[in-house]
Amino acid sequence: MGKRCFTEEELRGYNGENGAPAYIAFEGRVYDVTRSFLWQHGRHQALHTAGTDLTAALSEAPHGADLLEDFPVIGLLIETG
Amino acid sequence: MARVAREMVEKAGVDIDHLVELLVKNAAAELTTYYYYTILRVNLIGMDGEGIKEIAEVARVEDRNHFEALVPRIYELGGKLPDDMKTFHDASACPPASLPADPTNVTSMLNVLVEAERCAVRGYTYICNMTAGKDHRTYDLALAILNEEIEHESWFSEFLGEGPSGHFMRRGETSPFVSKFLR
Repeated sequence: MGKRCFTEEELRGYNGENGAPAYIAFEGRVYDVTRSFLWQHGRHQALHTAGTDLTAALSEAPHGADLLEDFPVIGLLIETG
Repeated sequence: MARVAREMVEKAGVDIDHLVELLVKNAAAELTTYYYYTILRVNLIGMDGEGIKEIAEVARVEDRNHFEALVPRIYELGGKLPDDMKTFHDASACPPASLPADPTNVTSMLNVLVEAERCAVRGYTYICNMTAGKDHRTYDLALAILNEEIEHESWFSEFLGEGPSGHFMRRGETSPFVSKFLR
């Protein structure tokens, strides 16, 4: 079965708040981080919020993209601009 | 609160609310790690476990020292610790260093320990980068803690066979870098 496609606007709905799942995008892939201790309520290290594309932000993070490998890829982020 | 000290940090361009939240989250990580390491340490038994018990104990005690050293800086900058311990635990900058399913598997125990230290190394590196040249006191504190977290990581990494740590165990006193903040 193919991956679900998300627009940025659709992704914003998965912000981890009020019981919503927490999804983040990185390099076109959408990851489900809902179960992560470090993404409780859709927030990460007092800086990042779920429901967003973190591709640029990850280059500033004190860790690499390898940490995302622990989370399931549940879709693809499509560009609408 | 140290009003002028806070103003100086703000004027230097640091997002002080973000910084204080990070300090609280890392203080939570230190205290909860102290708690979880207590459980790990008492379960490090047998021929293999005893070999790393002392090193886990040093890391445990030094993580508690890190908590003690962070608290004054949080309040100086106008922050506070949460009133509720559960809230504090859940705000931790690092996941719980929980006892693995098989505590007799020393490799599993070491993986929990090394991942906890690696999380701390990432967190303090970020705080150092954020405060370097701007908030000298927080930078000095975060750097001191970072030095000890890196040593902890290298000790556990060495036991996992990832390569030599390059240094010896502590000789007597703990927290050679952070102790100046505890006097």
